[in-house]
Amino acid sequence: MTPFDFVRPHSLSQAVALLDPDDPHVLPVGGATALIQMMKVGVLRPTRLVFLDRVEPVHSEIRVDAQGHLHLGGLARLSALEHSSLVQQGWSVLTRALHNLANVRVRNVATVGGCMAHADPHMDLPPILSALGAHAVVLGPTGERVVPIEALHLGYYEVALARNELIAKVVVPPMGHQLAAYSKVTTRVKHDWPALGLAVSLAVADDGSLSQVSLVLGAVMDKPTRLVTVENMLRGARPDDKVLNEAGAAAAASLDIVGDTHGSASYKKQLLRTYIGRTVRVALGAAHEGIAL
Amino acid sequence: MSTTTFKTNPQGQVGRSVSRVESHAKVTGRADYTHNLVLPRMLTGKIFRSTVAHGHIRAIDTSAAAQLPGVHAVVTGQDILRIIPDPYYGPAFHDQPILALGKVHYVGEPVAVVLADDPHIAEEACALIVVDYDELPAVFDEMEAGKSEVIVHERLKPAGTFPDLKHLAGRTNTNIALDFHLQRGDVAKAFAEADHVFEHTFRTQQVMHTPMEPMVSIAEPGHQQITIHTASQSPSFVRIEIARLLGWQENQVRVRTGTLGGGFGAKLYIKLEALVTALALMTRRPVKIALTMEEQFFTITKHASTFRMKTAVRKDGTITGRECEVWWNGGAAADIGPRVTQKSGFTAPGPYDIENVKVDSYAVYTNLPPAGAFRGFGIPQLVWAYESQSDIMARALKMDPVAFRLKNFLRDGRPQATGTIMHEAALHLVLERTASRMKWDQPFQKGTGTLRRGRGIGLGFKALVAPTTSVAMINLSGDGSCIVYSSTVEMGQGSDTAIAMMAGEVLGIAAEKIKVSRPDTDITPYDMATLGSRSTFHMGHAVRLAAEDVLHKLRDLAAEVGEADSSPANTATLLRKKFGMQAGNVIGVGSYIPPYTPPNYENGQSDNITPNWMVGACGVEVEVDTETGHVKILRMENVVDCGTPINPKIVETQISGAAIMQIGISMFEEMVFDENGQLRNASFSEYKIPGIQDIPPAMGNEVAQAQQSNGPFGAKGVGESATFGVASALAEAIEDAVGVRLTSLPLKPEAIYRAMAAVRGEPLDTP
Repeated sequence: MTPFDFVRPHSLSQAVALLDPDDPHVLPVGGATALIQMMKVGVLRPTRLVFLDRVEPVHSEIRVDAQGHLHLGGLARLSALEHSSLVQQGWSVLTRALHNLANVRVRNVATVGGCMAHADPHMDLPPILSALGAHAVVLGPTGERVVPIEALHLGYYEVALARNELIAKVVVPPMGHQLAAYSKVTTRVKHDWPALGLAVSLAVADDGSLSQVSLVLGAVMDKPTRLVTVENMLRGARPDDKVLNEAGAAAAASLDIVGDTHGSASYKKQLLRTYIGRTVRVALGAAHEGIAL
Repeated sequence: MSTTTFKTNPQGQVGRSVSRVESHAKVTGRADYTHNLVLPRMLTGKIFRSTVAHGHIRAIDTSAAAQLPGVHAVVTGQDILRIIPDPYYGPAFHDQPILALGKVHYVGEPVAVVLADDPHIAEEACALIVVDYDELPAVFDEMEAGKSEVIVHERLKPAGTFPDLKHLAGRTNTNIALDFHLQRGDVAKAFAEADHVFEHTFRTQQVMHTPMEPMVSIAEPGHQQITIHTASQSPSFVRIEIARLLGWQENQVRVRTGTLGGGFGAKLYIKLEALVTALALMTRRPVKIALTMEEQFFTITKHASTFRMKTAVRKDGTITGRECEVWWNGGAAADIGPRVTQKSGFTAPGPYDIENVKVDSYAVYTNLPPAGAFRGFGIPQLVWAYESQSDIMARALKMDPVAFRLKNFLRDGRPQATGTIMHEAALHLVLERTASRMKWDQPFQKGTGTLRRGRGIGLGFKALVAPTTSVAMINLSGDGSCIVYSSTVEMGQGSDTAIAMMAGEVLGIAAEKIKVSRPDTDITPYDMATLGSRSTFHMGHAVRLAAEDVLHKLRDLAAEVGEADSSPANTATLLRKKFGMQAGNVIGVGSYIPPYTPPNYENGQSDNITPNWMVGACGVEVEVDTETGHVKILRMENVVDCGTPINPKIVETQISGAAIMQIGISMFEEMVFDENGQLRNASFSEYKIPGIQDIPPAMGNEVAQAQQSNGPFGAKGVGESATFGVASALAEAIEDAVGVRLTSLPLKPEAIYRAMAAVRGEPLDTP
């Protein structure tokens, strides 16, 4: 580890000014949980770290606006989300996922913005927020812009942000009658990076068919990936065993999955095949305990 | 834990549940770990490691590294030769150069060291070293290495310590670092006459000990002497080996250990000590090298193994013959591997009464990181094989696996494979207790749908490694307070507490009032090492004898000064009477080495192969997800025979800790290498050890009611026993649940699912 500048701006706009659009060695820092590990192994060798812990408190807020949208400040800690009653009441899929995201020490310092900008495809929140239709509000030198979470990630550690842009907040629309679930499937120890992370958000019509379906897959591809084919299959269908099995098979067939240390390609396809149905059932069960499918 | 208290003396120490004497220091951050030691003018070294698995070093360019501001020196193997002309070390073979000389043998082998005041500068400079290699073909698999034309070490150089390695001196063109053979009866005849013959091959993978405190050593040069502060399990060995390397007397080398943050066999013999010694003598400054967790993977590991086992059985289930061929993958340095090959090898046929046995056990060199001692000393690899086969055979014969074992177990008074008569190995009792805790004779619900349940049970045994020596001293001061001087290393296993209790038992002093000194070879006497569950037995005896010596000397002192009361409580009075003031000491000494007969080289037979047998059994209930192969351990029951538990509270944590560690090795842990011998997962984000969520929700630990009559206070070791039965019990439970048998560790969900898919006739694509 070589010496570097460590600056702690008092506002987000000041932080933006301290970043450099052309220098990959100048980095913003939220909780530093990923950054420190990458510095330790020499993947990152920053010359300047812009530590965001002293920016305006508004950027750490968790609130619900008049339209019912959930606003998560870019500097809000994951543990604050985990323990937020607002999140629990309106977006409990997030609360449940957070209990099993990294560990308590990481959640106590890791931030929403850092978590979104890190773009490791194994992270849990991006597919969930993507399935919920959330967007990021991004602050740059010329002001704010909006980026859907779904469009935020371009590939492994690649994100659709300029080097001098910061995630000011993430806005999640109200869930209304939607049902959601997230499956985190690990293949080594229980507490591990997922081999597969699957976020599902659904709405059920009066006749029991699915009126709305959103399926976003994490960890398997190089970025969170929407399973469009499967969504189309399920939309308008009654999610019985046969339909869900076909959806699972279609999901496995639709992707060019690559094996890694969590499992071979063919095994990961089997996990995906299985967890499409399981996750949809959990989502449906979350609000309709005991519903017969 | 449902242990019975074996307290012989109601006022005594043995059998009390005592909290660790060092626990307060640990939880308040005051424990003396070597990592925290800072010495004036201390340099820090960072190791530059080989990036190729096998190759000649053509050139090492250290110029850019040396020019980096803040770098004190860059040292290579050639520089070491100026200080230590023959810089090869190792407990069994002198096959590890302090830094690579001429050739590198595995990815990760130390090639150079950068010294700087600032560890970050040293690390930065390491990245500037350039080495040019002539790459050689490499061999990684233990079976291939046995007959390979790729030779890891050109010439075998036995250390001379072990008589059964002497015949290997100077041998060339081989990777076999020890072949151990045992023969009893006529196996060929047994196979010819058998009703059934079973033959299987079982494999285990290379794993790492993962002590939470990575290895660290500091050498501090003095006038014609050197002090080494090191996180070592074997300070006495370090002193002898460093003295040998330097051509010095033992008393010129002082080795001190702090509290260790775990050892598990990783911190034995020499690890960093020879390197820091050479660097300190070169620079005349204290030198510290502290490894990262990642670097530990390149330092010492557990042997991967291949075990081919062939067994003859009568149709009533009696095992009549067994042939064992075990190949131990030692990596590029033998370390203590040849001892594993022999000391564990002779138990390869298992705790069974078999007329005809044959064992061939081979330690082989490969181009992988070295393998050495690891909690269990090779026994878990063997139990995995013989207990897996017991289950396979019981299934084939439609016998209950518990009944099958009970029928074949060695009984007291029967000869084990070496010919040594078994005594006081509570095999039947331990298995019966395990079965009882599992409610084995009651119906078991296997479930329907996608979650299927199964159960398995297994038992292993281990011969205490012999012969080894422990020496202890006990000092009563002028006020009667007591210090025990012992070189047993407290590494989290609770040895300080056990030592204090055993000394206190004899002296009538509460364990909490006794101080146990940290190992310091200038002060504490010789101890072979803290390994192989040997300390309670050997150091226990030495401490007991030292305490008895104290009592004897107190009696003499009382007689001399004309006092009737010679009890330790009256020490202050006795010493005051002799010396006229609070002065003087009463010092007792004890040493212990058990009787032993080395095995015959030709047939491995011995009438006294070990002082005692440690026994551990495990029962598990699992739930397997038929769509993914995921396994959840619902229940785990561990039962051991450790004789009388000295401290039931710590014994229970030794049992549960060993079992949990073995869950990791059985199910998750695996060092993954690519085809070039590059380790792909040298970090905790990719090498996974069990966490709290992997621990069975129901877990019971029990000490069987047994006595070890030649043990101190009826005790024998317990640190490893609960590792033995875990892996095979899991494999059996998985088969019981979903009908597939795995013969390679780890038992990963993918392997289980693949086997299930293959049985269904829908095999997955090969990865």
